[in-house]
Amino acid sequence: MNVEVSHRPAYALATVTLDAEEVVVAEGGAMVSMDTHVTVETTAAKKEGQGLMGGLMSGLKRMVAGESFFQNKFKAAGTTGKVTFAPKHVGDIVTYEMDGSCELVMQSTAYLCSAESVEIDAKWGGSKSFFGGEGLIMLKASGSGPIVFNSFGAIKEIDVTGDFIVDNGHIVAFEDTLNFTNTKFGSGILQSILGGEGMVCKFTGTGKLWIQTRNPQGFGEALASKLPLRPN
Amino acid sequence: MQHEIHNKPDFASLHITFDEGDSVVTEAGAMMGMSPGLKMETNMKGGLMAAAKRAMSGESVFLNTYTASESGQRLDVAPASPGDMEHVALDGGAVVVQRGSYCACTPGITVDSSWGGWKSLKAGEGLIMLHCSGTGDLWLSSYGAIHCEEVDGTYVVDTSHIVAFDESLTYTVRSIGGLKSLLFSGEGAVCEFSGKGRVWFQTRSAPSLAEFLQPFRKLQPKN
Repeated sequence: MNVEVSHRPAYALATVTLDAEEVVVAEGGAMVSMDTHVTVETTAAKKEGQGLMGGLMSGLKRMVAGESFFQNKFKAAGTTGKVTFAPKHVGDIVTYEMDGSCELVMQSTAYLCSAESVEIDAKWGGSKSFFGGEGLIMLKASGSGPIVFNSFGAIKEIDVTGDFIVDNGHIVAFEDTLNFTNTKFGSGILQSILGGEGMVCKFTGTGKLWIQTRNPQGFGEALASKLPLRPN
Repeated sequence: MQHEIHNKPDFASLHITFDEGDSVVTEAGAMMGMSPGLKMETNMKGGLMAAAKRAMSGESVFLNTYTASESGQRLDVAPASPGDMEHVALDGGAVVVQRGSYCACTPGITVDSSWGGWKSLKAGEGLIMLHCSGTGDLWLSSYGAIHCEEVDGTYVVDTSHIVAFDESLTYTVRSIGGLKSLLFSGEGAVCEFSGKGRVWFQTRSAPSLAEFLQPFRKLQPKN
């Protein structure tokens, strides 16, 4: 599976080229175009041989994480084939090659597609992610192979060694060799509120971190005040 | 006439430098800047019927025609939404353009509405699509980047992402995969094109943006 990203950064498109009989798993609704011989199977199960209950559970967990209940498996039947994917929102796409040495933690809406050998699981973030203003659940990718994720705005890769602080709304993904704690911005509650920064995440350790240059929450709030009221 | 598209794909705009007597037709409201000597005419091109059909296809009833009284005059054109523009040169051929994606053309191109048939309704698109034929230049615009795919054989595109396609291609509307995919894949309908020709598709769709913004709208107070 080879991934090429074009039209960066605002309207990025991922073109996935599959070998014969190879499969790419994608978030529901992400497919833009494909070769006709690519077959599509919609499933709630995360891996081969997982029973109905197992499939239901992983589907539910994904849904709670803000992803769709079902995932689509695209298979290049017979010969090599191409599928293109795009996220719903304005923003960039990054391909990350998992080599089994560490896991990748993603903000729940960041997932776009991945090789079949990569396992995506919803992970309970615990109270610290709740207070961080993010979803309660994050996604965790393990295994090996390429995984493709997207951001809101452009994406910036940061090699963390030591400490680094990121605003919660700007986190896209990070290698789990990094530890994180939620902390308020500044020295006191007042500074935290007046500074407009709310909660921030402090990463420690050594690993890669991806941040997005726009905050979807901020964009939504900025526009929503100009829109007519929603009927109750 | 010289023309260039700048700032692709995020905020594309079209910049035309005319020779004397050249004309360009644009969608109403698309003019961003122009030389003062340029002659502008607003009309319902093609008559009342054609205008009514255009209105039904989500395009403007009135079109503006800009004609150069001398060489070197310029016209700058900008579509309404952020996104891409694409130049299509027609030489006697025709392209079918999705509602909202027509931006400008030279007068040698006839812009007509065509009944997309029931299958276009099934595709969740407008019943009427624009049919642009003739010889000259045509400019398309879209929300998102525009990607061109040369089809030789068959190719599948999600219906909400189609911008335009060569008339030489035939298409059918279907769902992807089986019944379960139809209900749960989140992919909606797709167009399967066959033949030889180009398909232009956009890498984002405006309805997705609207859907994202919806939950941020404030609620009306209860009476």
